[in-house]
Amino acid sequence: MKLKNGPLMWLASLGILCLFVALWQGVSHLDLVSAVFFPAPTRSFESLWDQMRGTDFWFAFQQTLTRMAMGFVSASLVGIVLGALIGLSPRVRVYIEPSLELIRPLPASAMIPVFVLLFGLNDRMIVTAIAFSSLWPVLLNTVHGFKTVEPRLIEVARILRLSRLQTVWKIALPNAMPDIFAGLRLALTVSLILAVVTEMLAGVAGLGQNITLAARSFRSADLYAGIIVLGAVGYLTNILLERAENHLLRWRGH
Amino acid sequence: MTRILKGLLLPVLVLLVWELSARSGALKAESLSFPTAILLAAAAVVADGSLFKAALETFTGAVGGLAVGASAGILIGVAFGLSRRLSQLMRVTTESLRPIPSVALIPLALLIHGYGFQMESSVVAFSCFWPLLIITEGAVRGIEPRLIEVARVLNFNLVQRVTKIVLPAALPRIFVGLRLAAAVSLVVAVTVEITANPIGLGYALIVAQESMRPDKVFAFIGWIGLIGWSLNASLLRVQLKWFGRMGNWAEHTS
Amino acid sequence: MTQPSASPILSVQNLDFTVGDLNILRDISLSVQEKEFVCIVGASGCGKTTLLRMMGGLLTPTAGCALYRGQTITGPQPELAVVFQDYGRALLPWRTVAGNVELALEARRIPKNERADIIQDMLSRVGLAERADAYPMQLSGGMQQRLQIARCMAQAPQVLLMDEPFGALDAMTRQTLQDEVARLCSEAGVTVVFITHDLEEAIYLGDRVISMDKHPGRLSETLDIELERPRNQLTTREDARFLAYRHRLFNLLPPGH
Repeated sequence: MKLKNGPLMWLASLGILCLFVALWQGVSHLDLVSAVFFPAPTRSFESLWDQMRGTDFWFAFQQTLTRMAMGFVSASLVGIVLGALIGLSPRVRVYIEPSLELIRPLPASAMIPVFVLLFGLNDRMIVTAIAFSSLWPVLLNTVHGFKTVEPRLIEVARILRLSRLQTVWKIALPNAMPDIFAGLRLALTVSLILAVVTEMLAGVAGLGQNITLAARSFRSADLYAGIIVLGAVGYLTNILLERAENHLLRWRGH
Repeated sequence: MTRILKGLLLPVLVLLVWELSARSGALKAESLSFPTAILLAAAAVVADGSLFKAALETFTGAVGGLAVGASAGILIGVAFGLSRRLSQLMRVTTESLRPIPSVALIPLALLIHGYGFQMESSVVAFSCFWPLLIITEGAVRGIEPRLIEVARVLNFNLVQRVTKIVLPAALPRIFVGLRLAAAVSLVVAVTVEITANPIGLGYALIVAQESMRPDKVFAFIGWIGLIGWSLNASLLRVQLKWFGRMGNWAEHTS
Repeated sequence: MTQPSASPILSVQNLDFTVGDLNILRDISLSVQEKEFVCIVGASGCGKTTLLRMMGGLLTPTAGCALYRGQTITGPQPELAVVFQDYGRALLPWRTVAGNVELALEARRIPKNERADIIQDMLSRVGLAERADAYPMQLSGGMQQRLQIARCMAQAPQVLLMDEPFGALDAMTRQTLQDEVARLCSEAGVTVVFITHDLEEAIYLGDRVISMDKHPGRLSETLDIELERPRNQLTTREDARFLAYRHRLFNLLPPGH
């Protein structure tokens, strides 16, 4: 049976996933694995369903997502503007780039203890930590995008006597967009990770806290449900960003 | 020479301002400490062996996870690269698992393994698996088709084909993937330690923060950054030495 | 061929360009009359591109000056349109064919409602009217170069400075574009300075062909081309005078260029 790439293949692929899930279900039904560590998928889905019908879950969901959004959006705006200013000016870059390179190898989570010292274990610490860590991917990628504008296009802009603002808006910015989006995608991943980690540390309401508590009380079905939710959050936020990217960068990959 | 001096201007200025404002009381030294204290603490943790011990623990957790995750990623990446059908069939499964942030698995790993190296290595393995899967699959797909034809003419069986042609041809890119995964393994290991695991550099950070020792916090952050940077720099040297002259030798250039 | 006018539209006087110890151009003087089609021929590396860039205001001479309508050229301007050899890099990949032409109109501050007609006109002149909504990446090399030419024409230039515009294209496309450029420029009445290393192309297109030596770049001979227009790929190239010019130039230029 020749399966072409397309809806049929996608269905078959989905079928494979269902097969794995069914296998797991069968294995746990037959008690071949510990029900505590590997609960039957049905139990996890039930837990998910129950949680979603209650209000606590949505409160936690909203808390986590709000923090993520606040941190990510503020970091992105600052990162793009600063990145543009730095990237466009070779003079400024000489002073700033080496410092940026020093910051690059630092793991985002390593700065969390500093924020805890500054703000304590609360929302403010969380949003600041998320924003701080999301800033760097956006900033570094934006600088790269603006500093690697095709020199031939700059010459065209000079010949056409475009003003500085016109050159930035019509030529430098579109040229930098692919890099900017690469930075945004990284920042999105980082903000989700930081949101979960800081919630776990701070013990405030949120999706990260949910799974920590579930694990601590051995409620493994709730734990798996929480993991599924976090996976879904990661997936959906990424798709949204991808959609935006595909729309704005239509001209690529034609 | 002036370029280097200009690059150093900003960090030196920042350090100076930091030092002076902390000493004059303008800055909260209890939360942020100051450069000279941090340098002293950095030296102290080397002298008392705590840096070495913590770094060793982190390395153990990171390397253990890297070995497992990377090997699995490479193996499956080769399989996916060789069989487009397989890759497509598994697409829904991989795309469902990939968006799960590795930190969301920390409570699960904790549940199953308790504190210690195994738990940390499991989470690291999950994080290292994906980049290597994607990169390896891409590298195998991108192999010059002429080489595959040579393998068929010589009547190689699957194992010979993979070991004599596919793996060597894909090696340069796989190595780049390994470099990436090594950096990831370090970051994830530290993150796991910050969040939940009482060993290693991440834990040292938390201990320093809880004992209100910002000088130690920054000292460890600095060491983590330095370790990460030198790890990447040495892997880069190795990469250039082994693969530099030959380029991406077997990639199809059309 | 050309009516000598009171003063040249473009000229360079005793132009010199040195970088470090390397003397790239030495004592170059040249006048271009309005509506003339001047071709500069020389071996690779003789400095023709450097000379062109100076005429376009993209480079400043170390001695001597470049003048446009009697005024020193201090910087680039839309009247001195430059058609680059690496056309792919001079096009905006994120804009459509029409969008790329529009860029020149935006620069000229043409009001939005007037742009569509001009764009349509420019694209028809270069034969790209049907591909108005395509992106540069979807076009062949020849079409991309035409797009660049269309954009340059949309600048309403007085002078077209062309840097080996057809160097990267195959022979057939090159011939088609040669005729198109000749037609376009005479229709629009623009002055052209055309750089090439292809002798025959220079003779085919030009009213005047100037050869250039290298190390350092210096103009050596000028040939006035007394061939009728419009020129024809077959007949003009077989004309005895064409062959004579060719001989002349061949002997002037070093072998193996």
